[in-house]
Amino acid sequence: MATDGGKDGSPVTLSPCHLVTLSPGRAWRYLVWISWQRQARAHLMVWIALGLLAFMTFIVALVSPRAWDWRNWRSPPRRGLSHAQWLDNVKSAQAGLPLDPAATAVLHATSAAWQAALQDPSAVRRAGFTRFSEVIVFSIFTTFLLPLWSLSFATEAIGREREDHNLLWLLTRPLSRPAIYLAKYLAVLPWALGLNLGGFVLLCLAAGEPGRLALQSYWPAVLWGTLAFSALFHLMGALFRRAAVVAILYAFFLETVAGNLPGYWKRASISFYTRCLMLAPAQDPVEPAAAWCVLAGLTVGLLALGMVVFARSEYLDLS
Amino acid sequence: MLLFEHVSKWYGPVIGVNQVTLELRPGITGLVGCNGSGKSTLLRLAAGQLRPDLGRVTICGRHAWEVQGKRHIGYCPELDTFYEEMSGRRFVEVMARLCGFAARQARQRTQEILRLVGMADRAEGRLRGYSKGMRQRIKLAQALLHDPELLLLDEPLSGIDPIGRRESLDLFLELARRGKCLLVSSHELEELEKLTDHVAIMARGRIAAVGTLTHIRDLLDNHPLSIRIECEEGRRLAAALLDLEDVAGVDLHDGDMLVVRARNPRRFFEQLTGLVLEEAFDVRHLETLDDSTHAILGYLLGKQSVTR
Repeated sequence: MATDGGKDGSPVTLSPCHLVTLSPGRAWRYLVWISWQRQARAHLMVWIALGLLAFMTFIVALVSPRAWDWRNWRSPPRRGLSHAQWLDNVKSAQAGLPLDPAATAVLHATSAAWQAALQDPSAVRRAGFTRFSEVIVFSIFTTFLLPLWSLSFATEAIGREREDHNLLWLLTRPLSRPAIYLAKYLAVLPWALGLNLGGFVLLCLAAGEPGRLALQSYWPAVLWGTLAFSALFHLMGALFRRAAVVAILYAFFLETVAGNLPGYWKRASISFYTRCLMLAPAQDPVEPAAAWCVLAGLTVGLLALGMVVFARSEYLDLS
Repeated sequence: MLLFEHVSKWYGPVIGVNQVTLELRPGITGLVGCNGSGKSTLLRLAAGQLRPDLGRVTICGRHAWEVQGKRHIGYCPELDTFYEEMSGRRFVEVMARLCGFAARQARQRTQEILRLVGMADRAEGRLRGYSKGMRQRIKLAQALLHDPELLLLDEPLSGIDPIGRRESLDLFLELARRGKCLLVSSHELEELEKLTDHVAIMARGRIAAVGTLTHIRDLLDNHPLSIRIECEEGRRLAAALLDLEDVAGVDLHDGDMLVVRARNPRRFFEQLTGLVLEEAFDVRHLETLDDSTHAILGYLLGKQSVTR
């Protein structure tokens, strides 16, 4: 057939492509690569995630290191005196009150022990680490930021292709649907891990010494949490047309709210098992080994479920 | 090559395709019907984008839904979205890589296919800036990459300029000549007629008729074929024609122009030939008035026949 014509003006002919080998493995690897590249195109959810990261890093940097130094902790919280102020008050009482020798000795011993504890570098470090873990890592990072950051990339992998009606181009290639689903998941992982682990590193570094301790202790939990959350939100992308909305609702209600409830409700949340992999988990924890098994099992199980769902789904919205 | 066996497809309570049995062999088949008749559903079933609720769709013996089936399919959808930030060349090359070509082969194949569809010298711009016709050509290019045996083309001529249409039609004819099977859905009935006289006509999710236009026209007994004849002795010819068994009626206009309605066109033309030779009628002009795809659609589908 003559269209553009050859360089010499001769008709262009279509050579049969059975002369070259079409490799499904090569096509699949390229799909992972091109999907990874396309994930780089940041969308609204990614900008929100990055904005939250910047905001949280700023807040943590602002309150560090004062917030993690237990000499500054107040009892009752926020309204009461700090530990250092209590110690000063005790010392003033010792000096000012006419106490008998026995009582004075007890007060001396108490205040000395208190002072020693407040000034012991090891104790200060441990206390700071514990406080940072409770306030930032357990309460904010694992139950709110980790799911939100994970969904910002994971729901986009298939969800964005669906919304843009470009999924059709992938579904018409000679690639099996489970392979497409798996390739999309693998393409998301570097971005999700980069944001979650990178964000966690930033928060920890902004917190100073307690943050560095937390980073050393918790990064494997963040890694496994990311894998599980990404698998879940990737599945939502295959299931729902507005996957990001569904995932945000899930992240808020099931992870942030139910994940912090007492009793067994929290066991329905991925963030609970992520915290159980950390050193100081929530109430009624499961063993770290069991938590690891649950997270690994969830990742594999959700991926397998997603592959089945994707393989059987008809995307009527693509026409 | 493409086989539908008692295929039905529902969208909830609405039936998209109803008990369709259809076999296509190499060559070009036009798929025509009014809006909502099930053409696109049929094509999407063949492309493996939908699964039949009943029956099965196979391509070269493989289920269309499965990856083995897709290796034989090139699908040019009506859908008009791409990776808009890419250039046309980049898009086709990405599609080639996703077919399993190595990088160098993909570049070569892309160049070859772009030349084939007339886009080699203007495929560098971003897709979002392309005209409808250029986008159609890119869609066609991606469908041809892996040299499929079956090409499913949903409105492939839509938006293409007259020269581009001619080139596309030539390409389709060339592909058919090479033994490919093409199923072309189009509202452009005149263009489709230039391509093939083998059509499948769809109505309300069913295949109303399939075959050559002549064959389908012959089967429409209750709609006699209208033939216009210009002849010096119009009155004498009209009288002679009324004696023929298959003539349902004759209208005489201006003495030398007749419109004949014939029931069995094949037999009628044999009888007419004999009559003209025997009686030495001087027939100056003869044309059939309602054997076009459009006319046949009109008879078959009644008021639905408006296809846009």
